[in-house]
Amino acid sequence: MSDGELAKDIGPLAALTIGVGTMIGAGIFVLPRTAISQAGSFAIVAFTLGGAIALLTAFSASELGTAMPKSGGAYYYVNHALGPLFGSIAGWANWLGLAFASAFYMVGFGQYIQQIFGLSAALTVGPVSLNPVKLIALGGAALFIAVNYIGAKETGRLQNVIVVILVAILAVFTVYGGLRADPSNLPPTAGFTDTMTVTGIIFVSYLGFVQITSVAEEIQDPGVNLPRAVIGSVLLVTAIYALVLLTMAAAVEPGFINALPTEQIAVVEVARLLLGPIGAIAMLFGGLLATASSANASILASSRINFAMGRDGIVSESLNEIHPRFATPYRSIAITGGLILLFIAAGTVETLASMGSVLHLIIYGLLNVALIVMREADAEDYNPDYSVPLYPVVPVLGTLTSLGLIVFISPLVIGLSAVLVVGAVLWYFGYARSRATKEGILSQFILSRSDEMPDAAVNAATGVQPDGGNYRVMVPLANPEHETDLITLASAVAKQRGGTVVATHIVSVPDQTALAGAAERADEIDETSERLLASAKEDAKTFGVDVETSTIISHKSFEAIFDAAKSHDADLVVMGWGPDSHGSPGRAESAMDELTEAVPCDFLVMRDRGFDPSRILLPTAGGPDSDLTASIAKLLQAEYDSEVTLLNVADEGGRDDAEAFLEGWATEHGLDDAALRVETGDVETAIESAAEDATLLFVGATEEGLLRRLVGGSVVLDVVDDVECTVVLGEKHRHRGLLERLF
Amino acid sequence: MSDLLENVLLPVASEEDARTSARALTSHDYGTVTVVHVIEKADGAPDKAGVEQREEAAEEMFEAARAVLGDVETEVRYGSDVAETIFDAADERDSSAIVVTPRGGNRFVQLITGDVALHLVTDTDRPVVVLPDDETDTDPPDTDE
Repeated sequence: MSDGELAKDIGPLAALTIGVGTMIGAGIFVLPRTAISQAGSFAIVAFTLGGAIALLTAFSASELGTAMPKSGGAYYYVNHALGPLFGSIAGWANWLGLAFASAFYMVGFGQYIQQIFGLSAALTVGPVSLNPVKLIALGGAALFIAVNYIGAKETGRLQNVIVVILVAILAVFTVYGGLRADPSNLPPTAGFTDTMTVTGIIFVSYLGFVQITSVAEEIQDPGVNLPRAVIGSVLLVTAIYALVLLTMAAAVEPGFINALPTEQIAVVEVARLLLGPIGAIAMLFGGLLATASSANASILASSRINFAMGRDGIVSESLNEIHPRFATPYRSIAITGGLILLFIAAGTVETLASMGSVLHLIIYGLLNVALIVMREADAEDYNPDYSVPLYPVVPVLGTLTSLGLIVFISPLVIGLSAVLVVGAVLWYFGYARSRATKEGILSQFILSRSDEMPDAAVNAATGVQPDGGNYRVMVPLANPEHETDLITLASAVAKQRGGTVVATHIVSVPDQTALAGAAERADEIDETSERLLASAKEDAKTFGVDVETSTIISHKSFEAIFDAAKSHDADLVVMGWGPDSHGSPGRAESAMDELTEAVPCDFLVMRDRGFDPSRILLPTAGGPDSDLTASIAKLLQAEYDSEVTLLNVADEGGRDDAEAFLEGWATEHGLDDAALRVETGDVETAIESAAEDATLLFVGATEEGLLRRLVGGSVVLDVVDDVECTVVLGEKHRHRGLLERLF
Repeated sequence: MSDLLENVLLPVASEEDARTSARALTSHDYGTVTVVHVIEKADGAPDKAGVEQREEAAEEMFEAARAVLGDVETEVRYGSDVAETIFDAADERDSSAIVVTPRGGNRFVQLITGDVALHLVTDTDRPVVVLPDDETDTDPPDTDE
């Protein structure tokens, strides 16, 4: 078996239990009372109708899942087909929808615990009276968040066992109920609107099947097993729900359920009536297992969605850091956990269930639209193993029923959901648009046929496209002397990348001066700033690149540069370094101690002796930092027609290897026309002698922490001081900035 | 060079671990190195993190190791028992030794995560070399949270 196959270890039965285990939860163990009291015997219709709506979407999810077995499931398909604007809506809806659903499951869990231990008195702490159900729910949620934060592979296998137990308990319940069923017991039927309202609330019982697609990449033979698991799980739970509801409606006297005191759980009481105390105990046990496993599965699924969103640039990638010890996506789980706790504290059972329902109905609607787009756009690499029956009837009906059901849910919940959707749209335009990496199939389709398509569609598609992330080059300026050279280098890079230059005047004041005091001298600073930034603007303009300017007053200039690079979203920082820029090395040392090794974005540090890019020397031994300097050298070559020389310093006798390495490296970095030079002996001496012919020397940091090395006096620095040409040191961002230390 | 480090298998568990282990190895004479990361599978249930996600994380670990060791061979393996999977990799490559650096952590952390290094040492059929972490002082504080 190849490794690729080893990664896929979820068999057909396990795939089915993911769906069934996520769905059989608080929905059937908590909501039947609400359903029967509001819809009478049509509660059965409500659960069956919910299943039918879910089934339509299950067909579409199966086709998309077999075509794209990727982490992230529903979110991934919507983002892929409809682009990052809808991807943003689907991602947030899916993430928050799972958090609401988990909160709902945990409140159900709380009710079962309360019932088992007979806690009923509200706990009073000072003036605050706390509901015991909510307290238990909060505690339970914290427990399951912790389990997922630490990660235990055993919980996954436990899930399979739990599902079998649940199905068995519910089967026995319905068989006994069926024996005692009497049609004359059925409560009166409710009207259309009441039935639909109930369907909207109980739809939270049908959220699990899409979670199967979010682990599609781990399923064996997904072409066959995924559709079977997705569709099979919906059919199975719909049948179970309908039979359980039938039992509850027909096997007990009408009015029995409505007459129960509120703290009693209807399913448990019906089981007690039918099977005696054993029935009640089994049902209590089942309710605990079901709510816990649903919540657990949902927390796990939400981190997959976060991962997929981060990969597409909809949320920060830093959310998806894997814990070095637990190997879990701990940040994602911590944030999801925080949301769950918040929702438990704030919402009622019905609100939480309805929020989970509505947000998922939105995703299901979009998912069906995504399927139609994939089919119609006839995308090249779209080859699903499974096809939706009766296309286009099924996905069109799926869209209409999913979105249509939302209408019947309470206005408050619809309003809250609308706020979240608008929030996701604003999030796209405010945050994700410049970072999103994928264009949807839909906009590609529209834009590639811009002649045939209505103008409005073309404009709309253009209007919401990701803008590819404007490449931003920040230049911290400390004194006027080197301003032109720094701006020139930055502008040349920005011009080649079609980006923007951000000129930032960093005014460093001694520690003894309060920042407020410095601000009082604002006029003076303003004047210097204005002059400096104005000339920076002029210099950048000669390249025709966009310029932004800002002024920052700070005690510690290096730290200020790091902060500014982050707040200005810089992709690259071009800064000067030397005895007279940003403080002398001796003075900067104290500030340096507080910096982590990593830089927040790519850094170029220039020891300026006049900017002349005509003959560039680029010593390299491979590694990410010389990748950065190579790409900058290539940009300068395109702008100035520079001669580039690559240098490798080899051991005595390693010449041939070194030449082969340089050739390969040059091709890899698009510098085929560069001269190759191999020297032997001392690295430092070799670079110095080679630099005699050069006007510009690029040096990659030997490893992380170039800025530290600047003050440390390592090999790199001696070279900087000993050569006569301008030296540019490059350090590549390694996705491990200061922010990442938060957790 | 001693024969022991002639053909080293270097299992890594995180980016920091990769950096530390690679650094520890460079203070000794060694022959060829294969860096391996094991993606722990739940064996028939959803994993604690997505496979794609952990493959990306593995790539970052390999990059950290390469930054210290140069261009070395790397491999991602999948298995529900991390130590067993490392032994399989060592068997396949006929490695002269498996090299690890201690990851520290208190008893509680080791209890809940399982101590792979201990398992490697106790159940091994080939040499396991435990190298000290040379630069313990300069580790960023996030190693063992």
